[in-house]
Amino acid sequence: MSFLEVTAQLANGFLTTLLIFGITLVCSLPLGLLITFGSMSKIPPIKWLVKTFVWIIRGTPLMLQIIIVFYGPGLIFGWDSLPRLAAVLVAFVINYSCYFSEIYRGGIESIPKGQYEAGQVLGMTKKQIFFKIVLFQVIKRIVPPMGNEIITLVKDTSLARVIMVVELVQAAQQIVAQKAIIWPMFYIGAFYLLFSGLLTILLNRVEKKLNYYHS
Amino acid sequence: MAFLEVNGIQKSFGKNEVLKNVGFSMEKGEVLAIIGSSGSGKTTLLRCLNFLERADSGSFSVDGEELFNAEKTYTDKEKREKRLRFGLVFQQFNLFPQYTVLKNVSLARELLETDGKKLAKDEKRRIFKEIEDNSRQLLATVGLAEKAGDYPCNLSGGQQQRVAIARALALSPDILCFDEPTSALDPELTGEVLRVIRELKSTDRTMIVVTHEMNFARGVADKVIFMANGVIEEEGTPDEVFGNPKSPRTKAFLEKSLENI
Ligand SMILES: Nc1ncnc2c1ncn2[C@@H]1O[C@H](COP(=O)(O)OP(=O)(O)OP(=O)(O)O)[C@@H](O)[C@H]1O
Ligand SMILES: [Mg+2]
Repeated sequence: MSFLEVTAQLANGFLTTLLIFGITLVCSLPLGLLITFGSMSKIPPIKWLVKTFVWIIRGTPLMLQIIIVFYGPGLIFGWDSLPRLAAVLVAFVINYSCYFSEIYRGGIESIPKGQYEAGQVLGMTKKQIFFKIVLFQVIKRIVPPMGNEIITLVKDTSLARVIMVVELVQAAQQIVAQKAIIWPMFYIGAFYLLFSGLLTILLNRVEKKLNYYHS
Repeated sequence: MAFLEVNGIQKSFGKNEVLKNVGFSMEKGEVLAIIGSSGSGKTTLLRCLNFLERADSGSFSVDGEELFNAEKTYTDKEKREKRLRFGLVFQQFNLFPQYTVLKNVSLARELLETDGKKLAKDEKRRIFKEIEDNSRQLLATVGLAEKAGDYPCNLSGGQQQRVAIARALALSPDILCFDEPTSALDPELTGEVLRVIRELKSTDRTMIVVTHEMNFARGVADKVIFMANGVIEEEGTPDEVFGNPKSPRTKAFLEKSLENI
């Protein structure tokens, strides 16, 4: 198999990797915020329900969660299982939403009470205080930990192969098995490095942009 | 009826009764200084007036209008309207770090006058322009006109506190409260902040200043309240309270604070 043929086949797998990455990110960023509000709720049952859920998700391996989402409904309820890729996306979005929600929560809790009170005495509404004063400061604080999590997500996408979704590692694995060559396995390392390298540069830029002030 | 009337304010945190039946009054254009040892309830009193704490009992009114009565409950909207009668300058400034000095001053009024309202574009622009002009003027009043475009993190503590004063003035409160406005500052920076407060007095601003600066209180206030353990132990003109204190507690406090200078 020529280098170009291998590259083409791997690129196919990489598209799936990118898809998992992109959809997880786009869905988890807002969903995470929703979970944060739940875990900071003033209504105890909601707060504890959400906190327990987050604890379970963060306390178990993502691989296990993928397996449960894919096989669980069939084994427990006798339902048809989701398409493989959909099951992966569901598991990833839930998992990453929970991680993001904890980062958001840390960010929100790190904003001094004085910022809220300054807004309050100036007659601002709760909504205005959150969106005009607190949110931006939270974003500035969470960009570094979010960056770490996003880089982790790049590599976590390879867990999708546990239910035979052909992402990058699985694509390489197939070539290795069929053609009895090992080098595609090393080659995909370059894909990951390139992608996470680009993301790192991007995240650093965002961080720098937000560094126009310090608190 | 006095301009500000405060009656029977009582406030507890759990079992700790921090304010015990505090009442006083002041006239328009007066400066009231509140002094007292740490933990006597000065901050809590200001926070009650600014609706940051809810007094357990008591009431207060400004210009004959009852703003708060512990027997009644208020919606968030009512509270927001009422609290605009007061302004509060915090010990720790609490400026918004992500905004320029100018925006710190103008933001609240911009939100108040435009947020959630359907306004024509040029109407909105006109309002923003007017608020900006007003904010720049306020910055000039506190001597910071040329800092309008800077961020708070690049200002000294004294300058930050002056921005905070301009910010509080932007909403034209009837009564401006200061909670130890110079306590977080290096000694060489307190002068510039106290000077601003003196200038505000000369324009007949009604102000309540909680302070540990006895000379300032004596020189600027029309009226002084000495608080101890959640009660007003003594009140009167600066000459009465500082020159001839009646209560032994006041005497002891003043002697001690003179020692510290
Ligand atoms: N949010 C709160 N919860 C519980 N206790 C509080 C709270 N705020 C204040 N206190 C208590 O109320 C008492 C009075 O506090 P306050 O801050 O009003 O005093 P102060 O006169 O402003 O003192 P200082 O000169 O140190 O600023 C203190 O014993 C304090 O511990
Ligand atoms: Mg205090």
